[in-house]
Amino acid sequence: MLEIRSARKVFYKGQADEKVALDGLGLSLATGEFGIVIGSNGAGKSSMLNAISGALILDSGKILINGADVTNMPVHKRAARLARVFQDPMRGTAASMTVAENMLLADLRGHKRTLRQGLNATRLASYKQRLSILGLGLENRLDTRVDLLSGGQRQSLSLIMAVGGSPDLLLLDEHTAALDPRTAEIVMQATVRAVNALKLTTLMVTHNMQHAVDYGSRVIMLDAGRVLLEVAGEEKARVTVIDLIGHFSVKTDRMLLAS
Amino acid sequence: MGFVEDVLSSFISIMPVTLAQSLILAFVVLGIMIPFRMLNFPDLTSEGAFPLGGCVCGVLLAAGAAPLTGILIAFVAGFAAGCCTAFIHLRFRIHTLLAGILMMTMLYSINLRIMGKSNLSVFGSPTVFDWVPFARPGFPASKIAIAGLLALVVFVLLYMFFRTEKGTAVRAVGANPDMAEAQGINVWAATIGGVGLASAFSASSGALMVQSQGFADVNMGLGILINGLAALMIGEAVVGKQTVWRQLLAPFAGAIIYYQLVSFCLAAGMPPPDLKLATGLFVLAMLALPSLKRSRGPAPAREAIRE
Repeated sequence: MLEIRSARKVFYKGQADEKVALDGLGLSLATGEFGIVIGSNGAGKSSMLNAISGALILDSGKILINGADVTNMPVHKRAARLARVFQDPMRGTAASMTVAENMLLADLRGHKRTLRQGLNATRLASYKQRLSILGLGLENRLDTRVDLLSGGQRQSLSLIMAVGGSPDLLLLDEHTAALDPRTAEIVMQATVRAVNALKLTTLMVTHNMQHAVDYGSRVIMLDAGRVLLEVAGEEKARVTVIDLIGHFSVKTDRMLLAS
Repeated sequence: MGFVEDVLSSFISIMPVTLAQSLILAFVVLGIMIPFRMLNFPDLTSEGAFPLGGCVCGVLLAAGAAPLTGILIAFVAGFAAGCCTAFIHLRFRIHTLLAGILMMTMLYSINLRIMGKSNLSVFGSPTVFDWVPFARPGFPASKIAIAGLLALVVFVLLYMFFRTEKGTAVRAVGANPDMAEAQGINVWAATIGGVGLASAFSASSGALMVQSQGFADVNMGLGILINGLAALMIGEAVVGKQTVWRQLLAPFAGAIIYYQLVSFCLAAGMPPPDLKLATGLFVLAMLALPSLKRSRGPAPAREAIRE
């Protein structure tokens, strides 16, 4: 379960270019729920994800994961509870290390790292099996350096790394935006399969309205650092792309008037 | 023909001495490689850590301490120096190179304070090189045996470490610190520990050097960094750096080849004052090679130091 209570974050406080990134944002996601976050650029989507993952420290407010207060926990300690797939395929993997070594790093997320040998036969076999689910042939390239993989392969690897170990919370930060349409579809399908199979509590940021309509159990639209609209349950099942874009245009018009 | 024969004979006659020296200095090259390649933390601390180890060991030997104690305490002192450099970088967000320059400048004064004077003779004190039973003391064979054995032990231990769960995590910090942190790795601990360990090796090298040459000098680190870097570049060109095994072998192989090369140049009549210029040009050429190969135009505007 994820709970954000009146989160507030201001950048460049007291300066001419002061920017309120999160303005008393409140959000709650039940265990196993798949939330989709939409909103225009600058609405606070990335700030919210960064605040949840610990990369951004809030000015005020609280963040709870499964009831535990993680507001002041450093990134590496939070990692035991959450996993994240970045938009940029380069960010989620260690380029100069092999596929198997990357899998090992993710495998040990939230565990104590010992002085025992990292890659052993048992682990290699399990990585092979987990990667074969993707059908991209990554299972035969365990010893390949990740920088030799394509963007799609890297992102698929990031996804498998993130969902392994069933994190309490999975954060997807426009994770298919940098991929070509066909690869994006493969990664998206793999995501949905994993989220459903493992019943992961998931928060996905996307600019793709069709994804927001097709997937997830709750759509959250952010605007100016707060939640503008939340659609869940019955209503979510009926919502269309047109409905969602409608809310965008309302806001855009207002922004035009304001500027 | 007379010239070539002269050069070759004088080169071959000093080969064992050079080999002993290069095996000792291989630890500095290792101390440069670990931050540079494993942690993506170009570090200059070695230039201060090497004489630090020498001064600490020299003072201890002069006070009658056992040679191994001298090396161990030098190791600890070097570790502390490396930790400071890493901390300066992490805490105050000062560039790694500047943090290293600060540290090595401050270490110069510290080294002088430790010794109380600019050089100290420990000639005649017992050294770890006396432990070889069959060789005469002071003969290069004993130095080659001891330094070679130490190098082998350190190489094997490091190779095993970088394959453990902890070791893989340390490498991840160098490869992608954001990703490492997101996977629950404590980037601070890994960086401080790794850079500390590297400086510890540089300091140990200084301690061994003092025992080998019989005196400690605050200026013994002068130029050690650029020599070490040149050795590392040669090592990487010869054995490669694609795997952990090759990357770890590179400093040792590079040190051995580089110092033989230097001794050959000197034997061939190159004036010693030109040595630093030649070394600098060599390192420059090795670093520039990738961008020269890529195209004839200038290097791309934003070039990462890790190529």
